[in-house]
Amino acid sequence: MMSQSLTMLPDLVLAAMLIGLAWAALSSDDLRRGVVLFIAFGLLLAIVWARLHAPDLALAEAAIGAGLSGALLLVALRDEAGGKETAGRVSQVSRWMVDLFALIMACLIGWVLWLTMYAEPAERLAQLANSMLEHSGVSNPVTAVLLNYRAYDTLLELVVVLTAVLGVLVVGRERRGYRQAGPVFCGLVHWLVPLLIVTAGYLLWVGAHAPGGAFQAGATLAAAGIVLRLAGNDAAGLLDGMLLRWSLVAGIGLFLLVGLGVTINGGLFLQYPEAWSGSLILVIESAATASIAAALVLAYRGGRPDGWLSVADYDNNREVSR
Amino acid sequence: MNNLLIWPVALPLLTALLALLWPRRSNWIGVAGTGLPLLAVLLVSWQVAASGPLELALGGWAPGLGIALRADGLSVLMLLMSALVTMAVAVYASVYFAHAERRGEFWVLWLLLITALHALFLSGDLFNLYVTLELLGLTAVVLACLGGSRESLQAALRYLVLGLLGSLTFLIGVALIYAGYGTLDMAALGDAIVAGPTAWVALSLMTGGLLIKSALFPLHFWLPPAHANAPAPVSAVLSALVVKAALYLILRLWLELFDGVVTQAAAVIVGVLGAIAVVWGSWAALQAERLKLMAAYSTVAQLGYLFMFMPLLAALPEGAGRELALGALVLLALTHGFAKSAFFLAAGIIMQRAGHDRIAELGGTARSLPVTAFTIALAGVALIGLPPSGSFLAKWQMLSTLFVTGQWVWLPVIAVGTLLAGAYIFRLLGHAFAPGEGVGPSLSVGREEIPAVLLALIATLLLGFWASAVWELVPISAYAGGGA
Amino acid sequence: MTQVLLYALTGAVLFMLGVRAALLRDTVLPRLLALNVSGAGVFLIFVSLAYRGDSLPTDPVPHALVLTGLVVAVSATALALALNRRLREMDNE
Repeated sequence: MMSQSLTMLPDLVLAAMLIGLAWAALSSDDLRRGVVLFIAFGLLLAIVWARLHAPDLALAEAAIGAGLSGALLLVALRDEAGGKETAGRVSQVSRWMVDLFALIMACLIGWVLWLTMYAEPAERLAQLANSMLEHSGVSNPVTAVLLNYRAYDTLLELVVVLTAVLGVLVVGRERRGYRQAGPVFCGLVHWLVPLLIVTAGYLLWVGAHAPGGAFQAGATLAAAGIVLRLAGNDAAGLLDGMLLRWSLVAGIGLFLLVGLGVTINGGLFLQYPEAWSGSLILVIESAATASIAAALVLAYRGGRPDGWLSVADYDNNREVSR
Repeated sequence: MNNLLIWPVALPLLTALLALLWPRRSNWIGVAGTGLPLLAVLLVSWQVAASGPLELALGGWAPGLGIALRADGLSVLMLLMSALVTMAVAVYASVYFAHAERRGEFWVLWLLLITALHALFLSGDLFNLYVTLELLGLTAVVLACLGGSRESLQAALRYLVLGLLGSLTFLIGVALIYAGYGTLDMAALGDAIVAGPTAWVALSLMTGGLLIKSALFPLHFWLPPAHANAPAPVSAVLSALVVKAALYLILRLWLELFDGVVTQAAAVIVGVLGAIAVVWGSWAALQAERLKLMAAYSTVAQLGYLFMFMPLLAALPEGAGRELALGALVLLALTHGFAKSAFFLAAGIIMQRAGHDRIAELGGTARSLPVTAFTIALAGVALIGLPPSGSFLAKWQMLSTLFVTGQWVWLPVIAVGTLLAGAYIFRLLGHAFAPGEGVGPSLSVGREEIPAVLLALIATLLLGFWASAVWELVPISAYAGGGA
Repeated sequence: MTQVLLYALTGAVLFMLGVRAALLRDTVLPRLLALNVSGAGVFLIFVSLAYRGDSLPTDPVPHALVLTGLVVAVSATALALALNRRLREMDNE
C-alpha cells in the first residue's frame, strides 16, 4: 500500500500541476499571462503523453499543441492590445449555476470512467490493432491506424486543415511589417532552419516504424518557415502563386488518387495492395507533410498573401466589385 | 460495386481540388462538381431502394478496426435532399457569384461543404462522425463570412466558437462510448449498448453537443444572425441542410444506437424545448422586419416541430406505428429543407434587385418579379403546412400519432405554431402583392429564378404526392434496433 | 491501473474547467483558451484509455484519434483567431 502510493506520487504531482496550470490560465484576467500559462500547460501535457507511453503524441503536442497554437495565440495578443475590450460581467447567480452544472457533469463523467476503466474494464481494439500490424505495411502502430486502418479519418482531417486555411485566406490580407532581425538571430537562423528541415525529413521517414509521421514532420517544417519569417523573410519560405495552390492540394490529392487508384484492381477504396502499402503510405505522407507545412505557415501568416490572386486578378486585373 | 458509396464523397472533394487549382474555371467546375455527386447519390438511392442497405468497409478492414460507410433509407433521404438542394442552389450561385472577387474560394468551400454533408450522412463510425461534424462546421463558418460585413463575421465567429463547444461535448461522449464498449463502429454499438450509467451519460453529452449545433431552444441564439447575414446561396444551405445534419445524428443516436436507453422523461424535455422553439420562433418571425431574418427565425420554429416528435417516438414501441411517425418526421424535415432553401433564394433575388430586404417596403414585388413572388407563396404553403405540401401530410400523421399515444398536450402548440406561420407568411405576401414601385426592372426568368421555383415545387407538390416513397424508404435501416 | 484512472479523472476535470470558462468568459481569446483546455481534457481521457500498464503494448487507436483531434483543434483555433483579427481591424478602421 505504502509502495503503491509512492509510485503514484509523480502522477499525482503531474495531475495536480495540469489542473493548477489550466485553472491559472483560464482564470487570469491578464491575457498575456493566460496564453503563456496555456503554453506551459501544453508542454506539461507532452510530458504526460510520454508518461502514458504515447511518444507520437508527445512529439505532436510539443510541435502542434503547445508550439503552433502557442505561436498563433501569441501573435493574436498583439491585436487584442488595440481592440476595445467588452468584458461584460456575468451575474453571480448564473456563475453559481454554471459552477454547479460543471461540478455535476465532471462527477458524472468521472463516475462512468471509474466504472468502465476500473470496475468492469472492457476489451478494446488494442489487441486487434497490434495483431494486424504485419498486414499494414508499417510497424509503428499509430501510423498504421492513421494511414491504413483509419486512413479515411486522416483524409478528412487534411480537408479540415485545408478548409481552415482557406478561411484564413478569405477573411483578410496578411499583415506585414516584420523588422529585419538582428545579426545574432540571423546567424542562428542559418543553422536552425536547415536543422529543422532535416528533422522534419527524419520524422517523416522514421514514422513508419518509430514515433513520428506526417503531422509531426509537417509541423516541424512549418516551424522552419516561422523562424524564417521571424528573421524578416515575409513569405516564410513559402512558394507563391500556382505553386502555393499545388502545395496545398498535394496531400489530399495524392491521398484521394491512391485511394481511388487501388479500386481499379478490384480493391475497396483505400485498400492498398499489401506488398505496396509501405511505399504508398510513405508517398502519401510525404505529400501530406508538404501540404500540412504550407497550411500551417499560411495560418501563421494570418491572411492572404499578395501572391494569392483572386479570380478577378486573374482576369487581367480587371476591376471587379461585388 | 461496393465502392459506389465513396463517390458522393470523393467526387465533390476531387472537384474542390480542381477548383482550387483553376480558379478561373471555378464556376463550371463548381456546378459540375455539384452535379456529379447528385448522379452518384441517385445511383446509391436506387440500389438501396432495390436491394436494401449498403456497406463499404474502407481499406478492406473489418468495421471496428476500420471505418465503414453505410447507406440506408434515412441516409439516402438525407443525401437526396442535400444533393438536390445543393444542385439547385449551385445553379443560382453561378449567377449570384458570377462576378464576385472571391468566387474561386467560394466554389472550393462550396464543394467541401457538399463533401462534408455527404460524408456525414454516410459515415458509420462515431469518431469519423466527429471529424465530419467539424469539417461541416468549419466550411459553413467560412462560407458564412463570404459576405464580408462586420455582422456576418461576428455571427460566423460566434457560430464557430459554439460549434467547437458542441463538437467537443460530442467527442467526450464518444470517448466514454469507446471506454465502455471498446468500439466506434455504429452497427456493433447498436447491438452492444444497453441501458446503464455509461450509455446515459454518453448519450446526454453527445445529444447536448448536437443540440447546440441544431440550434434547439435555448441554444438557438446563434442561428438567426448567422443565417440572416450570410450570402443568399449560403443561407439557403445553412438553413436547409447544415442544421439538419445534427438532427439526423440525433435521430440515429436516439432511435437506433441508444434504442432502449432513451427514457420518456428525456424525450419529453427535448419535446418541451421544441414546443417553446415553435412558439418563440414563429412569434419572432412575425415580428421580424427583414425577410432573411424572418426566414431564419422560421427555421428555429420548424426545427422545434422536429424535436416535438421525440416524445412521440419514445412512447411508441418499435414497429409500424413508430415507423409511420418517423416517416412523418423525415418528411417534415425534407419539406422544410426544400421550402426554406427556395425561400432564401427568393429572398436573395429580391435583395439583389431592391438592395434591401425590409418586408414593409416590398410592395410591387409580385408585379416586377412574378416568378419569385410565386416561389415565396409556394414555399409559404409548405412552411405553414397547407395541402398538398409534404408538411401537411407530416403534420397530419403527427396529429394521428398524438391520438394514438394520448399525448394531447402538444396539440395546442401545433395549432398555435401553424396559425403563427400562417400569419407571418400572409403578412409577407400581403406586402409583396401590394401595389408599389416594385423592386427594380423585371428580368427574363433564367438561371436565377428557376432553381428557386423548382425547389418550392418539390416541397409543395412532389413531396406531397410522393410521400409514400419516404415512408417506404425510412424502415430500411442499416443499424440494429430500427426498422424491420 | 490506479494512475490511469487518475489521469482519466484529471481529463474529466480539465474538460469541465474548460467548458465552465467558455460559458463564463465573453471575449474570444479566453474562450479559445478554454476550448483548447477542454479539448486537452478529452484527449487525456482517450490516452488514458489506451494505456494498458507498463508490460502490455498500448492501444494505438486512441492515440491516432487524439492526433487527429489535435490537428482539428489547431485548425479551428487558427480560423477563429483570423476572424477575430479581422473584426479588430474593422473596429479600428
